[in-house]
Amino acid sequence: MPTNYTLNVNGQNYNVTVNNPTMPLLWVIRDLIGLTGTKYGCGQNLCGACTVLVNNVATRSCITEVQSVAGDTIVTIEGLSPNSTHPAQLAWINFQVPQCGYCQSGQLMDCASAMLAGNHGANIAAQMHNICICGTYPRITQAVDTL
Amino acid sequence: MSNIESSGKHQTESRKISRREFLVVGGAAGLTLGFALEFGTRRAAAQMAGIAGPPAATQVNTWLKITNSGAITLTIGSSEMGQGSFSGLAQILAEDLMVDYTKIQTVQGVPATGATQIGNAIGTYGSTVTWTNYWSMRQAGAAAREMLVQAAMNIIGDQNSSNYTVSLGVITYTPTGTNISYGLVANAAALLPVPSNPTLIPDSQFRYIGKTVNRVDIPSKVNGTAVYGIDIRLPNMVYAVIQHSPAFGGVLSGSVPATPGGMIAVVPTQVVAGTGRGTEQTGMVNAVAVVGPNTWDTWQAALNLEVSWTTPANASSLSDASIKSEAMSAFTTNTPYSSGGPNTPPTLYTVEGNLSAATTAILGAAHQLSELYSVPYVAHNQLEPLNCTVNYVPGVSCDVYVSTQVASSVLALVNQLTGLPLSQIHVHTTYLGGGLGRRIETDFVSQAIQVAMAVGRPVMLLWPREQNFLRDQYRQVALVQVNAGLNSEGNILGWACTNVSPTILGQRGYPVGAAGDSQCTEGTTALPYNLGALSTQWISHPSPIPVGFWRSVGMSVNTFAVESAVDELAALAGQDPYQFRLNMLTDPRWTAVLQAVAGLANWTAGPPSGHFYGIAGAHYANSYVAEVVDLSLNSGDDYEGFPKLFTINTVYIALDCYLAVNPGQIQTQLVGGMVHGLNAALYGRQSFSNGVAQFPNFSQNRVIRMDEMPQVQVTLIPNPEQSTLDAALGGAGELGVMCIAPAIANAYFKASGTRIRTLPIFPNAIMGGLNNPYI
Repeated sequence: MPTNYTLNVNGQNYNVTVNNPTMPLLWVIRDLIGLTGTKYGCGQNLCGACTVLVNNVATRSCITEVQSVAGDTIVTIEGLSPNSTHPAQLAWINFQVPQCGYCQSGQLMDCASAMLAGNHGANIAAQMHNICICGTYPRITQAVDTL
Repeated sequence: MSNIESSGKHQTESRKISRREFLVVGGAAGLTLGFALEFGTRRAAAQMAGIAGPPAATQVNTWLKITNSGAITLTIGSSEMGQGSFSGLAQILAEDLMVDYTKIQTVQGVPATGATQIGNAIGTYGSTVTWTNYWSMRQAGAAAREMLVQAAMNIIGDQNSSNYTVSLGVITYTPTGTNISYGLVANAAALLPVPSNPTLIPDSQFRYIGKTVNRVDIPSKVNGTAVYGIDIRLPNMVYAVIQHSPAFGGVLSGSVPATPGGMIAVVPTQVVAGTGRGTEQTGMVNAVAVVGPNTWDTWQAALNLEVSWTTPANASSLSDASIKSEAMSAFTTNTPYSSGGPNTPPTLYTVEGNLSAATTAILGAAHQLSELYSVPYVAHNQLEPLNCTVNYVPGVSCDVYVSTQVASSVLALVNQLTGLPLSQIHVHTTYLGGGLGRRIETDFVSQAIQVAMAVGRPVMLLWPREQNFLRDQYRQVALVQVNAGLNSEGNILGWACTNVSPTILGQRGYPVGAAGDSQCTEGTTALPYNLGALSTQWISHPSPIPVGFWRSVGMSVNTFAVESAVDELAALAGQDPYQFRLNMLTDPRWTAVLQAVAGLANWTAGPPSGHFYGIAGAHYANSYVAEVVDLSLNSGDDYEGFPKLFTINTVYIALDCYLAVNPGQIQTQLVGGMVHGLNAALYGRQSFSNGVAQFPNFSQNRVIRMDEMPQVQVTLIPNPEQSTLDAALGGAGELGVMCIAPAIANAYFKASGTRIRTLPIFPNAIMGGLNNPYI
């Protein structure tokens, strides 16, 4: 049964039609809206590559049904800042964090969420539990220590 | 992986280049130099060396272009999967071209299309991209610079080269102070002959080589703009989701299921010649793809599809217990290799030495060691699930967009399946969300091509995460038996090492000669220790579960066994394990790297109270590596309630790669490799029951997160004062992987007195899904 939703993503309203209101936000963002910076890794709330902000809170979009976020404020990596100027993005560049880079959208959104909650440095790192197969954890720690 | 032509003994190669290896393209566009770099195999290198005259454009895989406006682009045919080699090649080029490194634009190239490339993967693996091409890149930069300077000299009319200086892409005629930019003379330079022996910048004047410079790909990886295969979007594109037979060896039974409501098609896919491994034979319909309007709806339709699969006749033998018992019996029940024979597994290959002489020496020794080391099948874990997008226009063109380590294999595969000439096939290599060896394979590419040919629209084929874990080509299961004998002074009198594992090369149809499969034996061969009477054997394991190249391949298996056994011998001899190794070592570079890591850890003074050290070393891809693990015992449980025997506090790593182009980048490769090895050592295991893999997601294929990450310290052996063309550089991409498991096991023995001889150390650890307390 096609259902329409209006989603606020990165400050812009998108009207989307889904065949099933349980479609996860991840696939709405990637396939219907066309923002591909948010990644699919596991589909089971395990790896965190799909992390976005929903009302300023890090949220695993791969298990978040679209019907649950209509009317909420959603931010993806594309909307984290204009021109890559969010302090976390600058720190990620400064410390040359990414290797393959596939998990880093999710890592950055996790970091941004912890910052929005008023955390700094090691307190941010303590809340970051996403998987990085390349092993960039030490550089994430270094970058986060400056925030 | 190491090179498939390699005999297992790593060779030092000299690399000289002649001007015949450059293709010059001139004209109104500026100066373009085309050349053929070596990616992946010695086979490729041999073919390149055989080129008579300038390479044809179809053999060129790398282009340096300097436009009239001075823009510099370097187009590279290999793949960027996070290892930073695009940046490394640009960094090397900038040195001898004498330009600003940050002004070189690196562009993803396409595979060469020359006939010799077809079916011969010019791939990105084996830790090879930077070091095998170091001298070629330097020669290319120097040749282009000399051509540009010569063009400027011709314009000025003064042929005295000492009157010219070059800095950051600008040539200065010093008598008058006249500046001439590269762009201004690029057209004229293209008309000049390529210098046969261009002058390289002396090492003492390096501005880039040996320095940590920023990578070119990182800005796009922090704002979502980096394009991976899974991010491709084409007009009119549809989505396909694969479902394989649950059991390896199973095929579609009965008719193809009807297309579910809302979907576009159900396409059966078969194993294509060249892509099948082990159980998966050419022509078998081992999967179906559901095609639909978006990923999620299509995925759900694929999960709900009612498909009948056959149960393979040998399913009962494809279970953990039977695979292990087959390996155990292969030690005693096997057939010696015979040249020209069928050599059906289990076949015994004599890799080095002589078993009876080694056995005699061991039996006559004062102290004897006889231990069995065991590792399981391990999946690749690459975070970007396998995917491939194909736009096929019958008789006209085929465009393939894919994160792959082997673009030339993809090219050959499209040619094979569509019959299109190479000129009408376009392979677009994207960024890779991890390669780790899984993207050396093209099974998923062949499926995407089949689906695109069936549906007549651009299609992205996706393997959901579960299919990646359940249908991998795993790191090979292995049992390694080490017998050794020591005399009363602690010298090794005899060493007999026998590895039983399935053949990686054999599953791909490559010939396996008298010395066995180099991918399975590497790490047991050419050991640097005084081992006395030596025997190295490999026995092919009959299991047809698909196995493949897993970052560092045989090294991670065998270094665990060998460096554990050496540690056990040190204990038998009553010696410090570091000092014992120094006493036995015959290779000064290996000794130096061991001393470097021991110095970094302050081994002689010892670890902090309550901490314990373990050490291991290895030699691979022309590099030497050693690691020390600092761990402490832990009596608590981890967050899943499993016993947490120990905490790894710090890992110390030392590397000798002869010349470190970008030390910061090498450091990240070593750390990343170590983490890959750590994941496998602690948790990595795929389990099988009746041919069906049992662990479908990260919940049971646990990997470490931030809180489990040890501190890491890295030291590099200093670069030579003046490098020479006769010296080969070494790799870094896989060097971090292989020492971590034995270093942990050795440290744990020091701490507890208990040996770990079976991996993974925590076979039952799982990672919480929805119940994960972190979420």
